[in-house]
This record gives sequence, structure tokens and C-alpha cells, in this order.
Amino acid sequence: MKNTKDNACPLQKGDTELLLRYCAGSLAAGRVAEVERHVGVCPECRSWVEQQQTVWQALEAWEVEPVSADFDAALFARIAREEKRSGWQRWREAWRRLLPGGLDWRVAAPAGAVALLLVLGLAVENPFRREQAKAMVKLEAREIEQAERALEDLEMLRQLEPPEEETRL
Amino acid sequence: MAVATFEHDAELMLRVRGGDAQSFALLLAKHRGPVIHFLYRMIQNQAVAEELAQEVFLRVYRSRARYEPTAKFTTWLFRIASHVALNHIRDGKYERNQESLDQETDEGMGRQVASSAPNVEQRMLREARLAEVRRTIELLPAKQRAAVLMHKYQEMEYAQIAVALECSESAVKSLLFRAYETLRAKLAHMAG
Repeated sequence: MKNTKDNACPLQKGDTELLLRYCAGSLAAGRVAEVERHVGVCPECRSWVEQQQTVWQALEAWEVEPVSADFDAALFARIAREEKRSGWQRWREAWRRLLPGGLDWRVAAPAGAVALLLVLGLAVENPFRREQAKAMVKLEAREIEQAERALEDLEMLRQLEPPEEETRL
Repeated sequence: MAVATFEHDAELMLRVRGGDAQSFALLLAKHRGPVIHFLYRMIQNQAVAEELAQEVFLRVYRSRARYEPTAKFTTWLFRIASHVALNHIRDGKYERNQESLDQETDEGMGRQVASSAPNVEQRMLREARLAEVRRTIELLPAKQRAAVLMHKYQEMEYAQIAVALECSESAVKSLLFRAYETLRAKLAHMAG
């Protein structure tokens, strides 16, 4: 802390990290002496350090419970179970982890099937529509045929009629 | 010394990758306690903490084939542990599983009163203080809580906490600054 020698206050500089490291005991010995000199003359930093040390002591008093004696055995049993599982089960587990929390396979599977059918329905041509198109083509062909027949009949009638000069005489 | 530990843990994990179950047992014996204690302080329920720790070590075992010693083993381990704890809290399982602090404190005090030890008052005070510390830690947002616990109890550097919490080093400084500010405001009266 080069500025402490110049009486620059870490708090005023917003360098609380330095004070935090000092309280945590993670500062190099040389810098500890510098901070201690400053804390000795700066009431704000002294108060900050005292409060932080109180927090530190309070956290240190928080003891934890001993680990269950069967922890390792339970873990190795889980590992053994996992190693025995089939590829399909592992694949299912992996997908379950990817699915949003709480989504049940009993819901997800039918929903997926419905979505798949919809996609297939759109991709495959509708057979009813195909039959309709065939009928239309047949109808159009029949109409053309009828028109051709009508034209042939007219031609026949025209041939049966006497020539124009004969009629005049 | 720290470098030797780093190399030793990474070496053990590389052996696990090669199929050596004994090395996994050694890693488990060394890191089981710190991981469970971290999870216990995060979740504040011993049974759930052990269950989550099983998940952590199972994930370590599962990912042995992909393990590369790019970071310190403990940083990688606490990254998994933080992920598991934060997911557990995010999924809302935390509140349901949490041990009742009031109930525990009352029971604890009851036991103290019933005993005829000469320092009953001191022990009651200690119990009350501990309950207050736990409650204050519990009130911190999950990421701040994880950062404080790794900083205080695992003595991890900011860079390591950043890797564990998947954020920048400056984000870690900010998390710690806000967390300790809250803790100082709420626990400063315990001085003396």
C-alpha cells in the first residue's frame, strides 16, 4: 500500500479490499505493518477493521456437524449402481437433466408424439386432396370430349344439308 | 506447499481418469469434509448437504474422462459444488429443506437450561449468537453467500472464487463487498 505512507486513507480511496485482506490475514508482512500504522491514526479505518474482525470471529464460531459415517459407502454404492445401468437408462437420465425442472416424461412423451404427427401431417401430401384433383382432371377431359363430339355432329349436319345453289333452283 | 497440493490433487484425478478407484477414494477422503461443510452452510440442513455432496462427487466421477488439469482441483470441485447448491436454491427446494432455526435454538436452549453446568448463561448466549450468525448468512443472496463462504472458510483467492461462480474477478469483489457490508451492519453489535 504505497499511499498509506502518504496518509491516503483506504476507505476514502474506496480500497476496502486492502482492509479486508488485512482482516483475513492474507496481506504480506510488510503491508500489514503499513496498514497497522494507518489504522492507528485513522478512526474510520479502525472502526471498519474492528467491525470486520467481529464478523470474522462470529463466522469462526459457526461450527459444523460431523459427516455421517456411511457417507463414503453410500457414494460408492451410487457409483456402482450407475456403472451397472444400461445405455438407455443413462440416455434417459441425461435428457431428464436437460428438461426443465419438474417436467414429467408422462407429459413430455405424448406432447412430443403429437408434435411429431403434426410435422409429418404437413410434410406428407393429403390423399383426399389428391383424389379431388384426379376427379377435376377427369371432369375436364369429359367436357373436352363432349365439345369435340358436338363439333363432329355439327360437321355431319352440315354435310347432310344440300348445296346452296341447289336450294336456289 | 500449495503448488505441491495442486499437483498432487490433479495427479490423483488424472489417475482416476485412468481407472484408479483408489485415487478417487483418496480425493474423497481429503475433500469430503470441506465440500459438505460448504454445502451445509449454504443450505443449513445437514442431511440435504450430504445428499448434495454425493451429487457433487458423483459428477466428479462421471466427468473423470473429460478432466483436464487446467485449474486447481479444489477450484474445479467448488465450481461443481456451487453449481449444485445454487441450482438447489434456485429450484426452491431450499426453503422446504431448511432446518428450523427457531426450533433448533429453542431446543438447544432447553437443553442448556436443563443442564446444571455453571456456564449455562454463557452457553445460551453462544447459542443465540450462533443462531443470529446463521440467520444473517441465510439472508444473503445465494451468490453473495457462496462467495463469503468460499472466501472465509476455504480461504480461496478472488480468482478461484470467480472460476467457481463463473463470473469475473471484479464481480467477486463486488459480491464480497456487499456481503461483508451487510454482515458488518448486522453483526457488529456482537463485538466484545
